[in-house]
Amino acid sequence: MSRWPTRPLRRLTRATSSLRLRARIITAFGLGGFLLSLLLAGSTYSLTRSVTLRQQEDASERQFFLNAQQVEQASRTADTDLLALLQSLPRLAGAQPIVNTDGGADDAWNAPSLESSDLPPDLIGATATSSGDAALRMRYDLDDSPWLAMGMRFPRSEFLYFERVPLSDLSSSLNSLAVILVAATVVTTGAGIALGVWLGGRVLRPLADISEAAQAIAGGRLETRLERVDDPDLAKLVNSFNGMASALQQRIERDARLASDVSHELRSPLMTLRASVDVLLSRRDELSGRSREALDLLAQDVDRFQQLVEDLLEISRVDAGAVDLSFDQINIADLVTLAIAQYSQDQAIALRVAQDAEDAVVVGDKRRLAQVIRNLLDNAEKYGEGATSVELLGDKAHIRLVIEDSGPGVPDEDKTRVFERFARGTAAAGARGSGAGAGLGLALVAEHVRLHDGDVWVEDRLDGQPGARFVVELPRRSTSELTEVGEEMAELEQDLTEELA
Amino acid sequence: MGTRILAVEDDERIRTAVRFALEDEGWIVDEAENGEDALDQFTRAPADVVLIDIMLPGIDGFELCRSIRRTSDVPIVMVTARADTHDVVAGLEAGADDYLTKPFAPKELSARIRALLRRIRTSGPDTQTVRVGDLEIAPEQGMVKRAGEEVHLTKTEFRLLCELASSPGKVFSREHLLERVWGYGYFGDGRLVDVHVRRLRTKVETDPAHPRHVVTVRGMGYKLQP
Repeated sequence: MSRWPTRPLRRLTRATSSLRLRARIITAFGLGGFLLSLLLAGSTYSLTRSVTLRQQEDASERQFFLNAQQVEQASRTADTDLLALLQSLPRLAGAQPIVNTDGGADDAWNAPSLESSDLPPDLIGATATSSGDAALRMRYDLDDSPWLAMGMRFPRSEFLYFERVPLSDLSSSLNSLAVILVAATVVTTGAGIALGVWLGGRVLRPLADISEAAQAIAGGRLETRLERVDDPDLAKLVNSFNGMASALQQRIERDARLASDVSHELRSPLMTLRASVDVLLSRRDELSGRSREALDLLAQDVDRFQQLVEDLLEISRVDAGAVDLSFDQINIADLVTLAIAQYSQDQAIALRVAQDAEDAVVVGDKRRLAQVIRNLLDNAEKYGEGATSVELLGDKAHIRLVIEDSGPGVPDEDKTRVFERFARGTAAAGARGSGAGAGLGLALVAEHVRLHDGDVWVEDRLDGQPGARFVVELPRRSTSELTEVGEEMAELEQDLTEELA
Repeated sequence: MGTRILAVEDDERIRTAVRFALEDEGWIVDEAENGEDALDQFTRAPADVVLIDIMLPGIDGFELCRSIRRTSDVPIVMVTARADTHDVVAGLEAGADDYLTKPFAPKELSARIRALLRRIRTSGPDTQTVRVGDLEIAPEQGMVKRAGEEVHLTKTEFRLLCELASSPGKVFSREHLLERVWGYGYFGDGRLVDVHVRRLRTKVETDPAHPRHVVTVRGMGYKLQP
């Protein structure tokens, strides 16, 4: 695997957390919606406000001019009833008139409703000193209400004419506009977030699919592929992912096939070796001492060679996911007893069965489980001066097979490594893992236990004596599970029947 | 006269080495290097046991097995380089009684041959005729009739049926059948039983897909339905 470049993978992992990505998308859409609607609302409000204000001011000013002309004409005739005139003037939007007949003097005010104090003094001053015939206007606040005041001086008569127009109607309609705009902003932001959630889901779904597919491939289902998509951006990703998966599958299958083919090819010459050595062994007594020793060496290594080929074949089956497990309900105590008996006829290794493990049933492939036991006994034989005890322990959910030896034990740094293929121990490990027979035995133990949903590990002996303690933990089956397994078996058998028919 | 084994194997070195080893075990061994040669020899002088390598040039091991089965119920042991389900099951379906995986110990082969021959020379355990539905099993005569007509079984199939018929209704585990019929111990291959049961069903059942006589007991084994 080391040949795969690691850099792009790292770049990918930086953007991994899909939750964060989703959160980022949602935030971006929510914030975008908020800012955009805020901008729109703000500009709408200020534009509307200024346009409306100007319109009202312009309209008020036009009316003010008309009114001012009438007042101006009246100012030239002395006997005019000024108050009656002011009252008769058309009033736009609640405009109130007031006239000063003497250039701004305090006692010269005439008005039906307005007081001079209702006008801003600045405006009165500015109007009184203006050159005349031009309107001055001013916006101001009085008693918390906005007003527009306009003034004009008539130079010939020294009349000052003012009008005051309330702007509160306008501001109340602008207020309701503002409320509408705020509501629109909230709605738009909400819609942005909703869009972000939806789009986040959509954008991330392919990522979730890819992650699922990658997990499936890592789990050994090498034929897993992503479905084709129409989106050109995604199609590129999907194609390269599928391409990668195919390349990986081909490579793994090629490796597995090579190991398997090599093993099969080795079987034929081994057959000749095996049979020939047996022929020689039956004539061992006829041989001279030296030839006999040579024959013994040959016979031992043919055995070893054969075991290695078998193990290699088995492990390549495991790698290819092509192990034909044949599951049965097994009385584990019986199986262990028989496996021990098969391993060593002469030197009896006693099996101790704890009360909890009596009559315990596991579901498994008995020949594979027997191989697990054989390999562990073999390992104890080679590196641990032989198994000193074999125990079966049990609890509610598990059955544990414990094999102890009295060898040098396994140092901590090698406790995982001993289960690797062709494991070589560190210098401290002494004989274990180095020298003769360091092969696939424990690796196969690990693979087979894994195929049985179990676990295997090595630890130090609990009694403090030197030696290794190998523990195989298998799931214990309840009666209801057993029924299901029985049905599965029957179905498998049915499938096989149909396949062959 | 000794027991004659016809060993069919295309690899000359293997053939010779296996012949030497088998002769050491006391068997008389004839060699055939391909399927045609084997059929020719078998027609002229039938052997007591045939040992067939699956990978043969020309007629392959499966085909040779089927050809021999058409005329004979001689015990056949398949030799395969693969212990994968496909090869094993296909070999057994073709009519083999047992199989061995290369490289096997000649002593193991001898033990297998002896087990196959032993059951041919001993008749069924029960001398009484057993009737189950439309089946009539007469262990002594080595005869099985279905609806009054004789059904032809190989010795292994017959032995398997007799074992089940020794106690109709009782469930026999695969281990038990392996031991009683093939002489294997606890670690024998259960596929031997499964495939032979299937072969048996095609001969004694009206509808092999829905067996009424030789039935599977889920997770337990097989029984002869009384």
